[in-house]
Amino acid sequence: MKKSKVLIIEDDRFLLKLYADKLQREGFEVLSSLTGEEGLNKVSVEKPDLIILDLILPGKNGFEVLSELKLNPGTKDIPVIILTNLGQEADIKKGLELGADTYLVKTDFSLSQLPEVVKGVLVKVKKK
Amino acid sequence: MKPNRYKVSEVISIVSHQLKTPLSAIKGYLEVLVSDDVGKTNPKQKEYLKDALANVQRMINLVKDLLDVSQIEEGRMELKPRPTNLEKIIREAVKEFTLLAQAKNCTLSFDVKGKIPLLNIDPLKIRQVVSNLISNAIDYNERKGKVGLLLERKGNKVLFHCKDCGIGIPEKEKEKVFKKFYRSEKAMALSTGGSGLGLFISKAIIEKSGGKIWFQSQKGKGSIFYFSLPIKTKNN
Repeated sequence: MKKSKVLIIEDDRFLLKLYADKLQREGFEVLSSLTGEEGLNKVSVEKPDLIILDLILPGKNGFEVLSELKLNPGTKDIPVIILTNLGQEADIKKGLELGADTYLVKTDFSLSQLPEVVKGVLVKVKKK
Repeated sequence: MKPNRYKVSEVISIVSHQLKTPLSAIKGYLEVLVSDDVGKTNPKQKEYLKDALANVQRMINLVKDLLDVSQIEEGRMELKPRPTNLEKIIREAVKEFTLLAQAKNCTLSFDVKGKIPLLNIDPLKIRQVVSNLISNAIDYNERKGKVGLLLERKGNKVLFHCKDCGIGIPEKEKEKVFKKFYRSEKAMALSTGGSGLGLFISKAIIEKSGGKIWFQSQKGKGSIFYFSLPIKTKNN
């Protein structure tokens, strides 16, 4: 079976490695970007099945990246999981309104949940 | 000398946010090691890794508490009230704390008197208060003890009791209990986990929700912490 391709856009190298390694161990193909701009380029070239997106990023922030993804007919259907340290209700609301499928706060979630969340979102999207 | 550009609470807020990312990374790497995801650790290694993980979690909790305090002090604490089943929130908290209570040789019980209506409260914030009171009650149990929780309706309010058989609060320290960073000498000797911020934050949350929080305590016999929350009807 073809591996699902996940793109992680995260500017902290340690967190990026942590998430990427975890998902690779669980059988995903993982791509990564340290900035929003690089992430958007990778999305158009690589067409990932799912994107994990941080919000506080240098240059284009995560909200801007998400808006661009959802405005582009070629990328609007790619599911997005926001994984951030912004935990205020207003941020969560904004992220979900812009079209994110799930919103996770880094300090409140356990790494072991990540593969399950990714699989859950992929299953939900396939059913649509 | 240049004037200060930032207020203390702003500095706390910025530093706390900055700390979250490295703390999340440390927590994640320790979780990978504890779960034997990248190779088996021996029992002693696992014990130490679990201790390290527990301490990172303490730091994360402290950072969150500091952010709450800075929001309270700047008047920025936001509540998102919605119709909420308080009984369910307390049951979830009891479930979460059962293992910790067992580890401390303490029994945790919860009773409900009467039918509790839905309350217009912020479920996450009120859960934070409930967890804080239960966690204190368990932490400060000096011996094999009991923590008893009760939720009841009293007129147009609901009243929550959290009773412990712990060390109690000395008379001279009673007025300081809800002050920020307050920890009694006895508490500091008994438990290393607290920051002295939990009750300060709890008071702010309950009062902003239109309720009251208070306690009765006898040194050496234990304490009962209470909070009441209004039942909002069309008429009030």
